[in-house]
Amino acid sequence: MPARVIACPFCGLVCDDLIVGEGGVDTRGCAKAAAGFARPSGSGEHRIGGRAVSLEKAVAAAAEILSAARLPLVTGLSADLAGLRALLALADRAGAIVDRWRSSAQLGNVAVMQRTGGLTATFGEIANRADAVLLLGRDPTPEYPRLVERLLRNRTALYRNAPPWVGYLGPAAGAPADTSPGAKILVDAPLLLEALGALAALIRGRRITGGAGGELPLEALRELAQRLGVARYGAIVWDTAAFPAGDAALSVEMLVHILRMLNRETRCVGLPLGGSDNAQGAAQAMLWQTGWPMRVSFAAGTPEHDPWRLDAERLLEAGETDALLWVAVLSLSPPPAATVPTIALVAPDVVLPKASAVEIRIGIPGIDHAGAVTRADGVITLPLAASRASPLPSVAAVSAAILDRLGPAS
Amino acid sequence: MITKLAGGRVFDPANRVDGELRDLFIEDGRIVAAPVKARVDRTYDLRGFVVMAGAIDIHSHVTGGKVNLARLLMSEDHRDVAVARGAITRSGSGQATPTSFVTGYRYAAMGYTAAFEPAMVPSNARAAHLEMADLPIVDKGTYVMLGNDELLLRMLAEGGEQERINDYVAWMVRATAALGVKTVNPGGISAFKFNGRGLDIDQPGPQHGVMPRHIVRALARAVHELGIPHPLHTHCNNLGIPGNIDTTLATIAAAEGFPIHLTHAQFHSYGTEGDRHFSSAAARLAEAVNRTPNVTLDVGQIMFGQTVTASGDTMAQYRNRVFAKPDKWILMDIECDGGCGLVPFRYRDKNFVNALQWAIGLELFLLIEDPWRVFLTTDHPNGAPFTAYPTLVRLLMDRSYRNECLKTIHPAAQKATTLTSITREYTLEEIAIMTRAAPARILGLADRGHVGVGAAADVTVYEDDPDRERMFKSPRYVFKDGVEVAGADGVAAVPMGATHVVRPEFDRAIEDQIRAFFDAHMTIGFEHFPLSEGELADAGARLLAHPCRPRSRA
Repeated sequence: MPARVIACPFCGLVCDDLIVGEGGVDTRGCAKAAAGFARPSGSGEHRIGGRAVSLEKAVAAAAEILSAARLPLVTGLSADLAGLRALLALADRAGAIVDRWRSSAQLGNVAVMQRTGGLTATFGEIANRADAVLLLGRDPTPEYPRLVERLLRNRTALYRNAPPWVGYLGPAAGAPADTSPGAKILVDAPLLLEALGALAALIRGRRITGGAGGELPLEALRELAQRLGVARYGAIVWDTAAFPAGDAALSVEMLVHILRMLNRETRCVGLPLGGSDNAQGAAQAMLWQTGWPMRVSFAAGTPEHDPWRLDAERLLEAGETDALLWVAVLSLSPPPAATVPTIALVAPDVVLPKASAVEIRIGIPGIDHAGAVTRADGVITLPLAASRASPLPSVAAVSAAILDRLGPAS
Repeated sequence: MITKLAGGRVFDPANRVDGELRDLFIEDGRIVAAPVKARVDRTYDLRGFVVMAGAIDIHSHVTGGKVNLARLLMSEDHRDVAVARGAITRSGSGQATPTSFVTGYRYAAMGYTAAFEPAMVPSNARAAHLEMADLPIVDKGTYVMLGNDELLLRMLAEGGEQERINDYVAWMVRATAALGVKTVNPGGISAFKFNGRGLDIDQPGPQHGVMPRHIVRALARAVHELGIPHPLHTHCNNLGIPGNIDTTLATIAAAEGFPIHLTHAQFHSYGTEGDRHFSSAAARLAEAVNRTPNVTLDVGQIMFGQTVTASGDTMAQYRNRVFAKPDKWILMDIECDGGCGLVPFRYRDKNFVNALQWAIGLELFLLIEDPWRVFLTTDHPNGAPFTAYPTLVRLLMDRSYRNECLKTIHPAAQKATTLTSITREYTLEEIAIMTRAAPARILGLADRGHVGVGAAADVTVYEDDPDRERMFKSPRYVFKDGVEVAGADGVAAVPMGATHVVRPEFDRAIEDQIRAFFDAHMTIGFEHFPLSEGELADAGARLLAHPCRPRSRA
């Protein structure tokens, strides 16, 4: 097999410069990618109540569970785009609720986009243009291992001659090891929102005296405000998962406010990191099919969005759902412990703590079959290739088969 | 199986049929000649009905990341307008930016059988096409946005040969599975990333010093020499700015005789006269179009009400943010090749500027003499959602209705427009030209937009209602490739339409230059940027390639 260049679906960067050849996959030094491409193909046995069955029988059992349920929940949603499109078709027919698992992390970004808007850029703009970059809340490297290498320390940027100034604002625990020659402004997480408020005031040219400002490193924030103000193309990189849960939306709102003020005189953009495991693919497919990026119910026949009521975690905890369709093929997450009948569409190496009502083993997109996933910047969708032979079906094929079993809507 | 559409009044301008009583026969999705022996399996009695080819929307923002961001921003629209799933239809939501399935259903129910997304950012092509795989019934296609992409600007700055530019354009069209090429505020989207807040047609852009005039000329020429049927689809510089008529006329001149299509021309036909320094320049543009045969345009009519503007023109959208209603907006810089901006608008008839915009659009329709060169659009959703088309048709066909409406708009706008003095009323034949025959011709779709033998059986049947709004809102039957997809009871079948593309030839030597550029600068690999036919087929897309004329040289 001649060497081929392939894309990696195991984090939201979706680096597409990996090389697969006789010796396996060269993951360009990324441990996350190396672990991903080393995932085993597994036994691939499908089960009902722990007993091995044919795929056909498992599909039929899944369809039975969904048609018997009054309010099924489809979540996990860690799948390729084709899988997500098919899952949404199934959920629409089944009158299900659909949500990413742990979608709270993105809720702040979504809520602010809906009520205020945003001012953002894609990876390629940051990598070629940004001359000052503020990393906010936490070092993005653990989640996005090659972000600094690819977007900040890339050598042949189009519009900057030197690497950008890189600063950090956030708690000490999350600080990147090295932001030289930039600044490291340490603020405990609970004070982050207040620090952003102070930064906004300073950018606006207001004086800050007294109050809680005494706990904030005002001098460093003043320098940061100045730095962003003189940058030709600044960028603020954030991951709402780093913000204290109750502060996420307000923090993003403050960031958008800051960006808008800066853009009156110069350019500055946000890069809200939109998650791994094709989280942005899920948001995009849900938007074009339903009008909402997450937390949608098809129960009433029309797509309905409610950011609190339709949270998958809350629904399970409150016992408001009576069947669970769990989808995890890019991630390794097993279904949450649930007392309701569970259909698990999972990769071969996902370990189930207890037997699910129905367990269907799915090939991993980007290893076992081709597909497409969307980067964490939400704009660029990249193709995935199969790098080994696998008998396992895709989420798209299984979802379509279950839908077929359910028959047309009455 | 043969279907007979019997005895309708057929308006088929491409075949010079103007309201004559005709029978049409459909077999295997095509219009066929009257069968000599074969039995007709089903006959539709269309006596008293009006029959036309399915309508074609040449410019409608229906897919891609920009549209999805508009959906996200317009949460009120999606909450207020929810569409239930049916026995054969999917659920969805939205009026200004409907979801993909609903978009297809609504177009079909209105007698449209094709809609073209005019602003696909190259780097967003895969996402746009995968989304289009969920846009049912109607045919679709895209124009890829060039003219703010770094590599093209660099080639122009370096005085690159036109032949190489042609190769690059052809490569891009094929890589993104496009039907045509669009340029949006040529050079301006790039300039905005360098903090440029305006760019005139003869103003050198930042970084490369390339003037928009040169971008327009190079792209119009490339499209022509590559033999791509659709002329360069051009969103001029200075959108929305009073006095921009000069830029628009200069853009026509910049094409230097190569075919050029001006899109949403209404937004580019403004003068600076009067107390308010905002006036109609529709007559000036119409006069130029009437005497310049290489120019076509679509209007981008505004209609009063709530909508959202969704544009690749970040520079203009940043300027327009102050008019946002509700007060929220999104702006995005994209991958050194484009951008997008979303600003909600509520056009009001009692607002002088909005009222005059409405009148300017109508003036353009009525003053441009040749219906083959002017197309009916609202630049969906920018001027209004496409569902406003039936009302717009009535405004064009019914002078007394038009004058009644005119009396209700801002009084100063009434005085500033010449509409009352224009007696023209569009005929059914002219409507059939501007919404069927002419769009098919300008896009190079030889077997669409008419109902002659051999054409795809995309056919719309209307009741001949003197209220043209009612007539065009709810056709009695709509056939897509011979299948009855919509009628009096709504959507009747949900086939997937085709995706129309062209595949211009290019010298593969250009790939070395493109590869080197991608390797050095892009965050998308050269290998993964182009769409493959396989992945599109896997997603459910059916590509239909249309021939380009033989490539020509200067």
